[in-house]
Amino acid sequence: MNQTEDLIKHLSTELGGLEAGPIQGVEHDYAPWEKRCHALANVLDIHKIVNTEEKRRGIASLGSELVGKLTYYERWIVSFANILFQKQILTPEELARKMREVEARHPTAAASGA
Amino acid sequence: MSSHAQAHTSAPDAGGAMPSYYEIMETAVRELLVEKKVIGAGEIRQMLEVMDTRTPALGSKIVARAWVDPEFRARLLANGRATLEELGIDFFEDTQLIVLENTDRVHNLIVCTLCSCYPREILGLPPDWYKMRPYRARAVKEPRAVLAEFGTVIPDNVEIRVSDSTAMIRYLVLPQRPPGTENFTEEQLASLVTRDAMIGVVKPNIPAAKEKSQ
Repeated sequence: MNQTEDLIKHLSTELGGLEAGPIQGVEHDYAPWEKRCHALANVLDIHKIVNTEEKRRGIASLGSELVGKLTYYERWIVSFANILFQKQILTPEELARKMREVEARHPTAAASGA
Repeated sequence: MSSHAQAHTSAPDAGGAMPSYYEIMETAVRELLVEKKVIGAGEIRQMLEVMDTRTPALGSKIVARAWVDPEFRARLLANGRATLEELGIDFFEDTQLIVLENTDRVHNLIVCTLCSCYPREILGLPPDWYKMRPYRARAVKEPRAVLAEFGTVIPDNVEIRVSDSTAMIRYLVLPQRPPGTENFTEEQLASLVTRDAMIGVVKPNIPAAKEKSQ
């Protein structure tokens, strides 16, 4: 079986039954922005804007390269942005502008609150 | 704009002082949604406060209650979500909760092979290993080997049932009450129930000063 065939048969997030190494008993304390990202997911779900299945599909559609390279909540926020673009709630231009604005508020290494 | 001073590094872990590209994206998305009145100004903060109350201690209390109250246990097994909502535990998502009871003949284990579905409403956020490839890939294929890596050996005559969570259905394992706990209070019982016991990768703690009966 060649490699592309394997990519067709399994979504990038579909891991059940695949080969894998030993369980790594790792845990980390969630960073404040990661928790905010999770809270955003819950709030978007409560408002019926993005449900869990859309979120899961949004992450799968990032493709295996991004899924492999981004951390867990990095995948989530990129997926949310894409879904919000698709639903025409946000536009890419608005997000780019707002990101520059947020970035400009942190010209140095000043930590954000919380 | 001195934005060039900002390094676009993606912090793999808890970031330092400099917000990462993705952290900036989170802030920007949140602020835009509030500006557009898609979500309320305080909603994220309020949700964070609610999330802070959802820890495995909540799950432990529910398990202990099920051990001492057969009527509650029956309702919990019949309809997990409705029973927990009666206790004032809101669900954030449109999901069902199925409580899986361990017995002398069946040991349950939960996993999410597709992503990281987890009974967050009662256990909080999942541990990293639950979200990582080895557990997700192997739990459905070789559960006994996976359990052994957690130090849990299930006798061969006990069936292992692995339940794969989805966007619509979440699971919680109701472990067996350890022997030697007949005189324990509900609170003492709850202290034996760890998060990992409710995922099914370990058994509840055996009370101190009691020998493991096996």
